This record gives sequence, C-alpha cells and structure tokens, in this order.
Amino acid sequence: MWEFVARCLEASMIFTFAALGELTGQRSGVLNVGVEGVMLFGATLGFITAKTTGGYLLGFLVGIAIGALLGLLHGYFSITLGVDQVVSGMGIWILGFGLTTYIGNPYTGPLGMPRIPDFLGLSPFFYIGIALVAILWFVLSKTSFGLRIRSVGENPSVAEVSGLDVTKTRYICVTVGGSLMGFAGAIYSLEYNPVWNYNFLMGWGFIALALVFFSMWNPVILLGGSLLFGTLWQLSLNPQLVLPGVMSRYIWRTVPFFITIGVLLFMSTKWFRNRWGAAKPEALGQPYVKE
Amino acid sequence: MRIGSYELKLEKRLTLAGWETTIISFLAIIFALVLFSIIFILAGVNPLLAYKEIFSYAFVNSYGIPLTINRFIFLLMCTTAFILPLRAGLWNIGMTGQFFAGALGAFAVLYAFGGKEFNNPNLIPEIIIPLMLIAAAFGGAVIGAIAGFLRGRFNVNEIVVTMMLNFITFWLVAEMIKEGGPFMNPGGRSESFELPPSVYAPLIRNVPFTIFLALGVAVLLYYLFAKTKIGYQIKAYGHSPAAARYAGISSFMVPFLVFVIGGALAGVSGYHYFAAVPGVYKIARNYGYFGDLAFYGIICGLISQGNPLAAIPVALLFGGLSIGGRFAQGKLNMSFGLDYALLGVLMIALVVFQFFFRYKIVLARTGKERSDVGIRR
Repeated sequence: MWEFVARCLEASMIFTFAALGELTGQRSGVLNVGVEGVMLFGATLGFITAKTTGGYLLGFLVGIAIGALLGLLHGYFSITLGVDQVVSGMGIWILGFGLTTYIGNPYTGPLGMPRIPDFLGLSPFFYIGIALVAILWFVLSKTSFGLRIRSVGENPSVAEVSGLDVTKTRYICVTVGGSLMGFAGAIYSLEYNPVWNYNFLMGWGFIALALVFFSMWNPVILLGGSLLFGTLWQLSLNPQLVLPGVMSRYIWRTVPFFITIGVLLFMSTKWFRNRWGAAKPEALGQPYVKE
Repeated sequence: MRIGSYELKLEKRLTLAGWETTIISFLAIIFALVLFSIIFILAGVNPLLAYKEIFSYAFVNSYGIPLTINRFIFLLMCTTAFILPLRAGLWNIGMTGQFFAGALGAFAVLYAFGGKEFNNPNLIPEIIIPLMLIAAAFGGAVIGAIAGFLRGRFNVNEIVVTMMLNFITFWLVAEMIKEGGPFMNPGGRSESFELPPSVYAPLIRNVPFTIFLALGVAVLLYYLFAKTKIGYQIKAYGHSPAAARYAGISSFMVPFLVFVIGGALAGVSGYHYFAAVPGVYKIARNYGYFGDLAFYGIICGLISQGNPLAAIPVALLFGGLSIGGRFAQGKLNMSFGLDYALLGVLMIALVVFQFFFRYKIVLARTGKERSDVGIRR
C-alpha cells in the first residue's frame, strides 16, 4: 500500500511541476496550450542525454534547458511577434509531438539505469515539488515581483504606465514556466516511467493545462488538484486496487479524462464563476501591443 | 532597419487580399521545407535528393499516387472538420477522437449485421455501405457534440475538452478491438475483424468513392460561408461572440452546430481509412498512428486560412508529403517518424508566418514620410 501511495505522489509531482510552469506563464497573461509538447521535448531529450552519458543530473539539466528554450520561443511568438497565443501554443505542441517522435525513436526502450534513490521513502521530487509550490505561492502573493507579474497579467497597459516592463516580465515568466514543464517531462521519462516509446505522454500535459484552470491560478490549490489527479491516474492504471473486476482496464484509462471534463464543466457553471470567476488573469491570452 | 536612404519597416495590414494569402502560405511551406532540410543534413542525407524521393514517390510513382490520394481524402475530411469550427473562432483539435468514433460507428453497423461471420448473406452492400457512412458520421458527430454542447452551454474550453475526448475514444477503440472486445479479430491479433469483401467501398479507377464526399464537402462549405445565412452567422460569431449575440445569433447554436458537423466530417474519415482504403479494411492495430495524422488537418486548415477550397490543394500537398516522407525514411535508412517531424516543422513555420498575415514589410524612403505613420518596432 505504501508503495502505491509513493507512486501516486510521484505521479502528482509531474502534474505539479508542469502545471506550476503553466500557472507562472498564465499569471503574467500568457497562455501556453503546448504544455504537452514542452514536456515531450524535456522528457525525450532528457532521456536521450541520460541514456547516452549515463548521468541523471545532465539529463534533468537538458530537460530543463530545452523547456526554457521552448518557453522562450513561445514568448517570442506570442509577445514579440504578437501571434495568437493559442496558435503558437498549438505549434509548440505539434512541434514537440512530431520532432520527438523522430528524435526519440532510435532510443525506444527502457532507460537501463539504476533508479533514482528514494529519500525518506518518497521520491526526492516530492520534496522539491512541495518547496516549489511554497516558493511560488510566496513570490506571487507576497513579493513585489509577484505583484508585478500579477499586474502584468491583469492589465498590461496600466502596468506599463506605472513603469513596469510588460515584455520583460512576461518573458521571464514564460521562460521559467517552460523550464518547469521541461523538468516535469524529464521526471516522467527518467523517474516515473523510464521507458521511451511513441507518444508516451498520452495527455499528461493537457491535464496539467486543465489543472491550472482548476486551481483558480493559486499554487496551493494547484497542489491539491495535482495530488487528486496523480492518485486518479495511478488508480486508473491499477483498478484492481479499488474495484477489482468492474470494467476493463481500457475503460479505466478513460476515467481521468472524464473527470477532467467534469471538473472543467463544474468550474464553468454560473454558480461557480459568480463566486470565484475573478481569479482568472484578466489579460490572459491577449497579446499586448505597446501603443 | 535602414539600408542607405531607404528604411525597412513593419506595417499592420488592414486588409488581406486572396493572392497575398496565397503567397504567404506558399512561402510558409517553402520556409518549412528549407528548415526541414536541417533534419536531412543532420542525418547525413542530401536534402535535395530526399525531397526528390519524397515528391517523386508521392506524385509520380504508380505505387505512391494511390497512397497519396487516400491520405489526401482523409486529410481533406479532417481539414474541413477543423475549418468549420475555426471560422467560428473555435478550435477543434479532436479530429483524432472523432475519427476513432467514426471508425467504431462504421464497424458497429457491420457487427450488428453479422459482418464477423464468414460470407454472411445478409450483407447487402447497397444497404450496408450507406449505413456504415451514416453511422461513422453519427459517431464523430456525437463526440463533436459533447465539445460543442459544453462550449455553447457552459463556455467550457473546447481545446482541453476535445483533447480529452481524443484520449477517451483512443481507449474505447482499444476496448472494442483488443482482449476479447466485440470487434476483436477472431485471430486475436489486437485488431478488428476484417471487412467482408462484399462490402468493400466501391472504387472508381482504384480510388474510393469517398473522394467525392471529401471534395463535395469542401465545395459545400465554401458555399456555406460565402452565400448562406448560417455561414454568415458562424463568421460573425467567430469575429466577436458578444457582437453576434447582440445581433440575435444564438451563442449556443453556433458552437454546437459547428462541432456536430465538424465531428461528423471527421467521423466519415474514420470510415474512409478503415473501410474504404484498399489494403486496410479493418481497424488496424496501430490505429493510434493514423489518428495522430489527423493533426495534419490543423495545419492544412491554418495554412489555407479557413478557406475550404484552398484546403484542397494544401491537403493534397501534405498528403503527398506525409506519404513521401514515410517512403523516403525507409529508402534513405532514416529513423522512424520523418512524417511526424515534418508535421512539427510545418506547424512551427506556420506560426512564424502568422506574423506576416498581420504585418507587411515596407521599403520606404526615409525623410519623405512622417515618422509617426505606421507601426514601428
């Protein structure tokens, strides 16, 4: 049982890292629907690096670096060029899906390295994840830099007039956000499931994207949502733990996706929006053009 | 940027003529192919040779051409499924799921009429084939309707919902064709039972009749947008949902309708690929690969700027590229997934070129113009 709990927490942390990255960008007003693409890139390149050099650390660093690079690219498209953020995010996702299929294919198969040792019975990323949630919560809600990010996400023209550099702030946020998504991907392919095969993520990135909407853009609620979905995902892989013999294993795999739709639906009801709808960054998804 | 007494600057486009769109789209594809040659060079292959292989196999070779045409039909259906919601400002990235649901619908008809039994006399093609088509469209429409309903009624983000539905239908197909599912092949090869030869889709000069459906839909959609009231309402909603609501356009009906019809179109592509393409005639074990090719529809739709007629040549080109890419990868001993890599590079090139749909580069003499005219960066 403990093993199962540890596994759930491990899965939750992948959602946490990816969704925190998305949250950071969204708080500054930049929507990146290409989380899955960034994760695929971080996972694939991290996997290849670790497999060829035999070093985990290098693998994670490469994963983070490629994530940051893709975040920067998304920033360039959506901030500097002013391309529709959904189009750019879709581009990042399809680029990630397409290129990693080609790049990763010769490395199909298990990683073949000793597993990363646990720390106090849990994956070390659990502690990093919790710390990161705390740090991000603190930065966003208690520091002047956080205020800067939030005001850029709420009303960029007012922020600009009050002397904030909208472009720079958004660039910082999307780059940091991208590196977190890349890191999440690397955790998946180096620790959670160290096997490379075709399109292996199967929706983690899109669930992370939904989790950000679900979290009301609050890192602490986001952690709760990630724990819920990490557990759900793990249960959908091992349905025999809860309801042995009920529904086939394929049907179980659809459960997290149905619940994601259900949660989004719940959040879109009038009842919910009237109470908590204001949490959404006002300028989310809108390119900012300096007049 | 200054060059002598001239200055290069960016100006925001106010209008975009049809020929300008064509040129920009064309340049975007050229740019992508040039960018993609990096991949060939990294793999130690001469890009010109590789492109020669790709194009000659896809558009000249007598084995390649039928494959290209079948891929083209599939892509055009997925593209129209993407374009219709796009014109309403909505993103249907669920063509994959709608495609799977369409395939399941078509095979459900066969299953219901006992298509699993050998030489079943009940299978009258004149009845079964139309039923399969309708069921495929219905299957896709149901999946599309979920996204459209949620968007129209509750304003739920359609991108996440359609993507979730992709994964849901992916596992539903697995449920139906694997491990004792009702559509499982009697040989137990993790694929569906085979289509009885009596209900193979009619071929016209070796091309499935579905080509007429795909082309007809593209023309109809063009007509819909250009001439009809509902087309106008869809476009109005796409420009500004709020303004459309004030003009009395239902903010429920438009999203719902575009997703239902879009889903039905992608559903028919499920019939096409698994019941009409010669040599397939079953839901293949690697159906996930086919499903992911539906994402080419996004690129075709964006490059053709939502114009269904422009989508025809674009889908043909991309169909050929994906078929030729797969062939070249084998011939030149390259790693699997060349066609997917091409998909990614085309997409990112397109994103870059979105910029040129909004701005144009102007070469102007300095000093003659007032400096506050136009947008400079």
